[in-house]
Amino acid sequence: MFGIALWSLTGRVVRISVMLNHDPLRPSGKRVQLMATCLCDAFYDDVARATVEVLEYLGCTVEFPEGQTCCGQPAFNGGDWVASRKVVRHTVKTFAGDAPVVVPSGSCAAMMFHGALLEFEKENDLPEVEALGRRTWELGDYIFNGLGVKTWPGRYDAKIAFHRSCHSRGTNSGPAIVALLGSIEGLTVIPFGEGEQCCGFGGTFSVAFPHVSASMGDLKLDHIQAVNPDLLVSLDMSCMMHLAGLAEKEGRPIKTRHFAQVLRDSLKNAGLL
Amino acid sequence: MKFQQIDQFAAGLRKETRASVYDGSKKGYDARTKTLFDHFEDPDRLRRVAGEIKQHVVENLDTYLPQVEAKLRANGVIVHWAATAEAANQAVLSIMRARNAKKMVKAKTMVSEETELAHFLEKEGIECVETDLGEFIIQIDGDHPSHIVKPIIHKNRREIATSFEKHGLGAYNDDPQTITRRARAHLRNKYLEADVGLTGANFISAESGRLVLVTNEGNSRFCLAATKCHIAMVGIEKILPRDRDLALLLNLLARSGTGQQLTVYTEFISGPKSPAQPDGPEEMHVILVDNGRTDVLASDCRDILRCIRCGACLNVCPVYRQASGHAYRSVYPGPVGAVLSPLLAGKKFPELADLPKASTLCGACNEVCPVNIPIPDLLLRLRNKGKLEKSEAAAAATPPMGGWAVMASQPAAWKFALIGGKIIDHLPHKFIPVPALQAWTGKRTLPDWKGGEFRKWMKNRPRPNPALDTPENTR
Amino acid sequence: MNTTDREAILSRVRGALAPLPRRAPLPDWETELIHMRTRRGDVDAWALFQERLRLVNGLPLEGAASLVTWLEQNGWTRGYCDPELWPRLQAAFPATFTVETTFDRGRVDDYQFGITRAAGAVAETGTLILTDGATSSRLAALAPWVHIAVLQRAQIHVDLQSAVTSLADDSNIVFCTGPSKTADVEGILIEGVHGPGQQVALLLE
Repeated sequence: MFGIALWSLTGRVVRISVMLNHDPLRPSGKRVQLMATCLCDAFYDDVARATVEVLEYLGCTVEFPEGQTCCGQPAFNGGDWVASRKVVRHTVKTFAGDAPVVVPSGSCAAMMFHGALLEFEKENDLPEVEALGRRTWELGDYIFNGLGVKTWPGRYDAKIAFHRSCHSRGTNSGPAIVALLGSIEGLTVIPFGEGEQCCGFGGTFSVAFPHVSASMGDLKLDHIQAVNPDLLVSLDMSCMMHLAGLAEKEGRPIKTRHFAQVLRDSLKNAGLL
Repeated sequence: MKFQQIDQFAAGLRKETRASVYDGSKKGYDARTKTLFDHFEDPDRLRRVAGEIKQHVVENLDTYLPQVEAKLRANGVIVHWAATAEAANQAVLSIMRARNAKKMVKAKTMVSEETELAHFLEKEGIECVETDLGEFIIQIDGDHPSHIVKPIIHKNRREIATSFEKHGLGAYNDDPQTITRRARAHLRNKYLEADVGLTGANFISAESGRLVLVTNEGNSRFCLAATKCHIAMVGIEKILPRDRDLALLLNLLARSGTGQQLTVYTEFISGPKSPAQPDGPEEMHVILVDNGRTDVLASDCRDILRCIRCGACLNVCPVYRQASGHAYRSVYPGPVGAVLSPLLAGKKFPELADLPKASTLCGACNEVCPVNIPIPDLLLRLRNKGKLEKSEAAAAATPPMGGWAVMASQPAAWKFALIGGKIIDHLPHKFIPVPALQAWTGKRTLPDWKGGEFRKWMKNRPRPNPALDTPENTR
Repeated sequence: MNTTDREAILSRVRGALAPLPRRAPLPDWETELIHMRTRRGDVDAWALFQERLRLVNGLPLEGAASLVTWLEQNGWTRGYCDPELWPRLQAAFPATFTVETTFDRGRVDDYQFGITRAAGAVAETGTLILTDGATSSRLAALAPWVHIAVLQRAQIHVDLQSAVTSLADDSNIVFCTGPSKTADVEGILIEGVHGPGQQVALLLE
């Protein structure tokens, strides 16, 4: 992350695409800002709630900057960087300060610490964008690596299939979440075929390429159904919205949860919350 | 144009073709993963170092190109430069004419696909026979390759047997061994009759001027054993600094492409045949081809010039697997093609500017790339370029973002939309004239609208830490 | 030759690179980077070579007698041999064999096998190294169904790195790793496409 920042400041092409996460500085104190994501704001209120409950259980004080909207990713991925930068600038203004920004989404987190840097490469306010990127954490990464919580208490009796969303490729999030989930009593993470493959969501891709998007999703669902899990869990509601939407339309009996909900429910099941 | 062209192509693809492409590319990816991780402690480090070497070459071509030219000359090679596809083809033609040569056998080279050399020579009355089995089948079918290393990944044995029968290569027989034996018998006569053998090069060492060629079938070796003149058409970015770098890249190339440790034939060619050798070219030409590469070099996507054409990104790409190579309407399909093809198209960039859209940006292509090209970043830059150049192909079915951006930068408007969005639950989706919503709900259901619910909960619940009741939070 | 194209390309290259604030440096890398996990430093190179050659469907043999037996078993009795090698091999070949010491390109299919000298080998990959200097005829080492490369122990490199960094001063060096093959048709492996369907390494001291 630091490396990327330094290079891009010299006007050089950013060429590390592996989404390196964070400088080695650890968060000081436990005051965090929650970036709830537009999807949770519009559809998945319980995921945002679970995120707050989990963070508070860990002793964090959670701030919710009311002015927040979206991370800017839809326009960034769609190629409209002028529109996207407008939204990113708003986000940078909204998340002022120096507290870690925690996001229950690998994809929005990656937008802040990687994507935004690309579209601000030649902009004067690149340093402010980089600064926000450096303190933005995906939730699982924050719990596991930021706070150093390596096992999760409580109980959750389920066999789950974990979909590692693609925006966590090359970050610490996937391994962190698998470790946390795996440490929960009663919970088993079961592998499924072609787990490394994308679910087919891809932002605007899902509506501009509906056929390919749905075919990819069906393939993913086939692999998941083949191992018959109790739940499909991910760190990104965007993947889940796509997969759950397909599954429901096709009458497939697949239940989806965000991993924050699993963590929260694990605490509740054991009376810890 | 309803959806993106590649999506429409994929939707219309025959089930059989899709299965061939899917199985073939998955097999390639699985084999790659197995050999690389079985063989090396840290394959990712190999990829990173290889990427740094190639990036160094790309950014120092002004030094390396004259160096390579001088080495080649010292090795007795005649060097030509071709700024365009036409110039490259003309260079080949004038070599042929000077030798009064009428027949050419050629090995697989991507740059000759770019220049459409075979068609060009046929028009000039020169027989130009593709000798790679897959390319040979493509040639007799009048088809196009659909994969960089497996050109006929989209065909099955029955289709091949049918076209062999049609072209006088024996009665219908779809046994792959029989097909291969028939091609062997047919093509060895072609080698022996040909005046000139044409190849590409996978690498050129600036240190020694050696060209490296890799094949499995031995067709390029046969071209260089049977003919008296060798022409190599080489993209200007194929250089490696030192011979020892060849070892690193060779360790990655075959493993990444086909999962082999090494291809069957790895040839190091530094000039015409030795005087005592009875077989092979007495004359060797190298044509250094630009054909748009210097434009790529001048762009912010120059990292794509690291590409060593292994095909690993095609094999792993979920979109390629669903859509097949022909969907990309260009010489280079898959993720590398989605970057390279529009860039090489020059002025016709807008026509191919939809290619960079054919990706979920899942990053698998970068993860497998033997030279660690940040393909998703390059796709994103090209999407931006497509938007700035107002490409219609790129804009198809992409929701406009201007209004959204205004709303997403005004908290009051955003909150209003969160409440107002509830209407979506009460109207039948098919009556809402938003194309994106139609595209979404054609395949999937939409979850219930919960706009603003979280904010309400966050505001009204008992404060776990009243110290935090800052004006910002209680507003 | 087109000198204007040369100048055009080079000037465009210089123009494209001029705005870069700095150029990517050439990384140095240690040879250990490409050492395979399975690398065994103290191994007998011939033993490792045999194992790896078999993995790519090649056949290692020791001594002229074993070669003759194997050829007879397969019914291959017509072939070519490097004229410099033939005096050493001739005694092992019975009169039922027809072996020529010049290769006639007018009837390449008359030769069932071709015997030439290898210039070296790579143990870890099962690779035979052929050069113009060592190979008496490129065609004879390629066109017949069986290619037999004669090898000595001292010529075997342990790994690819060592072989690539000590390439002979020869304008044509070919690393052959097993028989010629393709998987173009439905990914099914077929051997003997344009080159040999059988690749033999014959150890002869």
